[in-house]
Amino acid sequence: MAMSKPYSSNPDSKALQIFRHLIIGSLTVALVGCAATKANEQQIVKSKTDPYENINRKVYGFNDTVDNYVAEPISNAYKKITPQFVQTGVFNFFNNLKNINVVINDFLQGKFAQSAQDTGRFAINSTVGVLGLFDVAKKVGLEQNNEDFDQTLAVWGVPKGSYLVIPFLGPTTTRGIPGAVVDTATNPSSYVGAPVQLVSLLNTRASAEGSLKFIDEAALDPYVFTRESFLQWRTSLATDGKQEASDFEDELIEDDSGAKEAVNKQGSSLGLTAGDKKFEQAANAFKNVALSFEQTAKSFEDASNKAATLKK
Amino acid sequence: MGMVLYMKKLTVIFILCLLGIANSQAETESGANARQLVEKFQSELLAVMKNGKQLGYSGRYDKLYDPVTSSHDLTKIARIVIGKEWEKLTEEQQQKLVDVFTKLSVASYAHNFKDFSGESFTFDSLEETARGGVVVHAHLSVPDDKDVKFDYMLKEKGTSWRIINIIANGVSDLALKRSEYTTILQREGFDALIAKINEKIDTYSKL
Repeated sequence: MAMSKPYSSNPDSKALQIFRHLIIGSLTVALVGCAATKANEQQIVKSKTDPYENINRKVYGFNDTVDNYVAEPISNAYKKITPQFVQTGVFNFFNNLKNINVVINDFLQGKFAQSAQDTGRFAINSTVGVLGLFDVAKKVGLEQNNEDFDQTLAVWGVPKGSYLVIPFLGPTTTRGIPGAVVDTATNPSSYVGAPVQLVSLLNTRASAEGSLKFIDEAALDPYVFTRESFLQWRTSLATDGKQEASDFEDELIEDDSGAKEAVNKQGSSLGLTAGDKKFEQAANAFKNVALSFEQTAKSFEDASNKAATLKK
Repeated sequence: MGMVLYMKKLTVIFILCLLGIANSQAETESGANARQLVEKFQSELLAVMKNGKQLGYSGRYDKLYDPVTSSHDLTKIARIVIGKEWEKLTEEQQQKLVDVFTKLSVASYAHNFKDFSGESFTFDSLEETARGGVVVHAHLSVPDDKDVKFDYMLKEKGTSWRIINIIANGVSDLALKRSEYTTILQREGFDALIAKINEKIDTYSKL
């Protein structure tokens, strides 16, 4: 099947899952590191969701280099020496472990029927599917659902915040950071030794191959392409594909020029002078992360209040 | 007196209701036309995929040229994709953009749908948008793989319907291209954009 399927597999695989565990540490290093570099490129019209585009582009370039020189060669070697059925088994194994997290998030989002279904999925694959090596559940019609804590936060009404590119990890949003921390904590593969995690990383990179190749082939500006498809894909997941994309499209089509430009202009007029800006941006990014944490905590509170009312 | 006024009001409401029904029937008909156009295009695409290997890239390109250009409103898409910048282009530049954009669209179909392994399109539902557009919700079934959701957004052009946007698994092609193209126009200018598009067409023809 040579048709490359544009968006069917994870655009963020290279991304979020790789070196997930380094998140906070590398964020600190990167922002401080980038803050120190000199700003010399001309001011470019900024997008509202991507106020740190200058930093993000640099990190994107860095990640791309790391991928080209480290991740891709290792992943290619892995694919070469590993038979397809082993690769599929490894993929299924880690995918099955993720279902624990999926079930938790189903529950947190109030999707109780789906939660039961996903529990069944996990149970079948862990037993009949030999510890998850075989995806038996799919054959009996239990499709894999994609839920994570970032989506739960979205359902709870936490705004996604700014788009960020994290070193080694790739695209996320400020909301995605607390999301990823919770997801890591609820995934059993986070608690086993480094060799298992390495296999998990290899498997993630290997299965992202198709998406990455598609970006290479289709993108005129790979940075923007990745950003837009990532943000849209996350929105679509958070709303389970039910968001009224058509309304947005309608506006896009009708109002060929109006609103969007206005937003952009506002974005660039917020600009400060070049030197301080990087520090300002780094500081803001931290502030946003902290804010996201705060909102998360608040959402927890809201949720437990709701649960308490329900009990009564 | 009061009664007469009341009757008049009722009559007006009744007439309005009738008009409403007629109107919604007309809409359903346009929905059916839009669906027909999408399904025709999908079957033409599948037919090319089935002979994809023998046809080769240039064969697929030639066979897909008419189906793509007659079902998509490529001029309108190109205009939306570059947004406000469109007004700033000379007529010559606008024509140039539409030309290369058309080639790119056909080329990307010819490249991405190169052979057949049992895929099929299924119609899911119709949706009419607030501004007179129609969205045809469908999905592509791929054997041994996840379905890919395709939402086609159509607008009326003259007497027929044309595809304006395709949303694949929630990712809008139009919004994606718009972000890319406007960024390149702003950062590097018109000539760079055309050069990049031509580069893509070239890459597609070689892969």
